[in-house]
Amino acid sequence: MRGRTPVWGTGISRRTLLKGTGAAALAAAMGPQLKARATTFQTPTVNISGTELKILQWSHFVPTYDTWFDNFVKEWGTANGVTTTVDHINTADVPAAIAAEISAGQGHDLIEHIVPVAQYGPAMLDMTDVVQEMTNRHGPQLDLAKRNSFNPTTNTYYAFNHGYAPDPANYRKSLWEQAGLPNGPATFDELLEGGGKIMNEQGVQMGIGMSNEVDSNMAAQAMMWAFGGAVQDENENVVINSPETIAAVEYMAKLFETAMTPEVFGWTAASNNQLMIAGQASYILNSISAYRTAQADQPDVAKDVFFGTPLVGPAGPERALAHGHAVFNYMIPKHSKFPDTAKEFLFHLVANYDQAANESKLYNFPAFPSTVPNLTQEGGPLDNDPFGSEPANKLAPLKTAEQWTTNLGWPGPANPAIGEVFGSFILPNMMARTARGEMSAAESVAKAEQDTLPIFEKWRSQGLIGGGQ
Amino acid sequence: MSTIAAAHPPEIRERRYLLDREGVLGPLMLLPAVVYIVALVGFPLGLAIAYSMSDVTVGDQGLDWVGFRNFVDVAKNGTFQKALRNTFIFTLVSQVLVLTLANILALVLSADFKGKRLVRFLVLLPWTTPIALGAIGWLWLLDPVYSPIDWVLRQVNLLGPGTIFGPRGNMYWTAKADLAQLSVLLIHTWRTLPLATVILLAGLTAIPQDVKDAANVDGAGFWRQLIYIRIPLLLPIMAVATLFGMVFTFTDMTVVYVLTRGGPIDNTQVLASWAYFKGIEGGNLAQGAAIAMFLFPVLAGVAVLMLRMARRTETT
Repeated sequence: MRGRTPVWGTGISRRTLLKGTGAAALAAAMGPQLKARATTFQTPTVNISGTELKILQWSHFVPTYDTWFDNFVKEWGTANGVTTTVDHINTADVPAAIAAEISAGQGHDLIEHIVPVAQYGPAMLDMTDVVQEMTNRHGPQLDLAKRNSFNPTTNTYYAFNHGYAPDPANYRKSLWEQAGLPNGPATFDELLEGGGKIMNEQGVQMGIGMSNEVDSNMAAQAMMWAFGGAVQDENENVVINSPETIAAVEYMAKLFETAMTPEVFGWTAASNNQLMIAGQASYILNSISAYRTAQADQPDVAKDVFFGTPLVGPAGPERALAHGHAVFNYMIPKHSKFPDTAKEFLFHLVANYDQAANESKLYNFPAFPSTVPNLTQEGGPLDNDPFGSEPANKLAPLKTAEQWTTNLGWPGPANPAIGEVFGSFILPNMMARTARGEMSAAESVAKAEQDTLPIFEKWRSQGLIGGGQ
Repeated sequence: MSTIAAAHPPEIRERRYLLDREGVLGPLMLLPAVVYIVALVGFPLGLAIAYSMSDVTVGDQGLDWVGFRNFVDVAKNGTFQKALRNTFIFTLVSQVLVLTLANILALVLSADFKGKRLVRFLVLLPWTTPIALGAIGWLWLLDPVYSPIDWVLRQVNLLGPGTIFGPRGNMYWTAKADLAQLSVLLIHTWRTLPLATVILLAGLTAIPQDVKDAANVDGAGFWRQLIYIRIPLLLPIMAVATLFGMVFTFTDMTVVYVLTRGGPIDNTQVLASWAYFKGIEGGNLAQGAAIAMFLFPVLAGVAVLMLRMARRTETT
């Protein structure tokens, strides 16, 4: 226990303090680089020695993160006498794994998924105490992180959100320059006009999915927001059937006719990444993972990929929003044998979040901004990408991500009903029906409402969502 | 007898007599099979019925009785209606194709020719490949943009501006409703064809040689032999192959899940995949179970038919 005596009653050991101080000095000398310090170990608040921690999580889109994470967990386990296991599975398989473990009443102690799954909330421990302790240690959690993990109806945190990945626009600069928009489109009108020009004159389509996959869900929701529509209001009442949503669906149909090919109806979640990496897309909505892959596999394409903030639509700049491309939610199932161990690990992860951001090549943004203090500062890593962007400030548009990233189901919370709406692909199909000419926008939106209402009623009857007055 | 009686105490003798009784030994021998069926078939089926009549969710496994409400809600949903229709279409059409092709293949493979073993191996290959792996292979082959099939069509001038499948450079196999449905149908056919072929091949070899010889002596040609001898004699075994194929296709969700995830616009959704999306991804376990229960009447019917046929085979 030498070197692990808490200092000034803070719970931080002398060793931690010394390491932290040394690392801070080192970081100061690193200039614009992300200040990833050596790992700090804090004395656990409860005795966890001799316990076990089994983690199940998605295979990260940036593979270096998983390599780092596995070692990070192992080191923490060794330092605290905890036996650790980490299992990575494809993100699409996580819901089935969670369902199976809940049903069996046994499995992992900590499960991470990148989409809020409030529908699994009743089987998870309330993480309010974790959020409170994290707030005490690191300052306030981002509002978007809270909204992606908190159910106001049950007043519980069904998950603990430690970060998110922004969902900017990815565009090919050379193509948009020729269309007269060297910095890419800033509004939906420019997207339609410029995208059409590129398609007609340069033969390159854009890629916004309308398929049964998660990216299409997010794109449809962002478009509805920009046009003033939403699936639900602040009080969790269904408001999808509105003139604003109809306008968004009409716009999407026009965009498809002007600048896309039918492939967008048959996409998987990886398809827009593949199209961009292959140099076949003028514009997609995605995180930076496709770009990071292109840097390694198609450097010429990567040099031409630039990023933009969400487009402004008829509802104005305040509704130019994007869903977090991934929201990193850890859940502790009620069947976990060692929930305290799981919570202690979360404290450790957040305390070292600068490493998480660094090892994910700036894919992971923190839910507690103080843990990666220089991330969005002037001259920080987004202004001077340590991972070889040309120009180095290519990621600068992400500095404002916190302002334009919001939760699943905004302006309401990320509740179970919204989870099922996403799981049933109601939104991309609503867009696709009109784009394919099968229904008018008004008919398609009415059908989406017809599919959505019973879902909300069902979860409301279970006492898991509000509204209904 | 007196020696035996003297050698064994009365309780052992009693136990032996008990085991000699057919009424005791029979059920005892059947017990492992009964336990197996109850545990692996009966319990899940009972659980599915209970789930479908409750308000259970993935997160809350409490079973509050709601009667047939889930079935009513599910039946009203347009996607469910599409899934129900697709399940029947994919199953019936693929099995018609399988039966036709399997008959042809079985006839070809029953003949003697060079490289027969290699051809048999290649025909069987799709059946030995795990379905998920096979479906991923097809996903790549039918990629909306980089499909090698499209590339071949372009090379032979069947795809592109001014061609029969043009003007675009891609077919968009999984992105157009009709082509996506056709793709799912063909993959099911590709997958179940080997099993049906092997079953029919076994049936062909079981046709007595003297029947064939008699037909030859009578001067019956290929078609006459096929229609009046082979097909009638193969009918029971064809029914077995069809029933197996129906069960595999009717309950499968892997092909749709991997290839299209039910899209485009739910046009390839089937009962099994829709039950998964609703029940697991959406967390609405009760409705997922209700959707899956719609598979039950057909499967039960197929099972009864199979048992009847098995019994008929035993008695003839």
